[in-house]
Amino acid sequence: MSFPDRLASGAAVALIGSACLVAGCKGGASVTVDIRVPRPLVEPLDVRMGVYFDDALKGYVHQEELEDHGTYSIDIGASQAPVFAQVFDAMFDSVVPMTVEAIPNEAATAAEDEDAEGEAEEEAGEEKADGEETQLVFRTADAVGTPVDGILVPSIEEVQFAIPDQTGGEFYEVWIRYQLALFDADGQPLGEWPLIGYGKANQRNYGTIDQKTTGLNEATIWALRDAAALLSFQFRDQTQVKAWLATTHGGAP
Amino acid sequence: MKMRIAGLCAAALGLLAAAGCGVQSTVQEVRQAQTDLGDGAIVILSRKHKTQGETEDGFVTCVSDSVNSGDDALRVLAARDFMDATFPWFEPRTAPLDMNDLTRVINQPLLTERIQQIGVRYLVWIEGTTQRSDESGSLQCTLVSGGIPACFGFLSWENGSDYEASVWDVHRGMNVGTLSSEASGTSFVPAVVVPLPFIARVQQKACDKLSDQIKGFLGPTA
Repeated sequence: MSFPDRLASGAAVALIGSACLVAGCKGGASVTVDIRVPRPLVEPLDVRMGVYFDDALKGYVHQEELEDHGTYSIDIGASQAPVFAQVFDAMFDSVVPMTVEAIPNEAATAAEDEDAEGEAEEEAGEEKADGEETQLVFRTADAVGTPVDGILVPSIEEVQFAIPDQTGGEFYEVWIRYQLALFDADGQPLGEWPLIGYGKANQRNYGTIDQKTTGLNEATIWALRDAAALLSFQFRDQTQVKAWLATTHGGAP
Repeated sequence: MKMRIAGLCAAALGLLAAAGCGVQSTVQEVRQAQTDLGDGAIVILSRKHKTQGETEDGFVTCVSDSVNSGDDALRVLAARDFMDATFPWFEPRTAPLDMNDLTRVINQPLLTERIQQIGVRYLVWIEGTTQRSDESGSLQCTLVSGGIPACFGFLSWENGSDYEASVWDVHRGMNVGTLSSEASGTSFVPAVVVPLPFIARVQQKACDKLSDQIKGFLGPTA
């Protein structure tokens, strides 16, 4: 940073500091990350993969109060579906969007019967709503009922971040811990595994004004790219995936 | 009398500027193989996987812009454009770290095809930083009579830039050379009412020197 920049930064810090003395403030930042990632250069697997993005994923916002450092909000929901769609589109021969329906167990059984008649629908897991046992049933989002070889459901388990004021280091850092769940063509769960995207941004690359927002934003973007990169590389190496591919038509890794 | 004092002050400041703001620089070059850029492009990148000592984005941009300009300009593809075009092979945690990694990566058919499409022949990996040290003195600013701000004192510090660039040939999968650029200098700010900064622009000097080295190393006269 040049000396005039330092003077400007110093003046800004003094101004903000004075304002904080008068009004009281602990900083904090709020970022909304809405990005797309490039299409990964990986050989696609010869499978027709159903994918489902739930509302929790598409609306994910991490909020956290850091003692002495203010309230932070990282909104990454808008990026999720486009990022995963881009990566899955490169990873698989074809991708089929799915919908899901929570239905009572008896109805789920009937749905399974229909499935036996050739209609494309898959069940996945069970959950209890209002004390009554229900079952999640996947259906292809198109009217044709395109059959799929498997279904992938990503979710966010946790988001963590760190700022230089906390760590004493140089970086704004963001970790996004995903969980990838794989179901077979009949909707039976095959397994799940974690995927951790990590991104960092060096505070030295930014001026004093808006540094927290810019730094966190940049670190979050790199975390999303990192998750996309690792997913496209590591998917076929997962034990559950290898076993599934071995039983799926033409799906040798 | 006043004129004489002002003249002496100006002369003293001039001496200080001449003595303090000089930037000393050193460059080194180790060539391991001949290069032939032809009409190909280069990409200038920094390592992003380290937890400290990460090269400043501004320095990488400075070198890229400098190598990409002037009569002897080389064709430079922006680092972010290259990372997007080759996604996900050159991300912070996936980029090759050594020649074995590079060989493995560039043998991926889709990546090989893409690199040929964008015409990249050499990757220049920059590592290093500019550090400030040995700060001494103090500067006090206050409001004097009439509400006019005034500063008094003397502040000085050392700046040191130390950068190294490794040049990789992506066609042959080998390291073709290493270039380095070091620069150091003293900056100071004397203040008698008005502070007068004399800044040693070591990072700019290191950028200029490293850019010239890269042009010489990969340019048509190499």
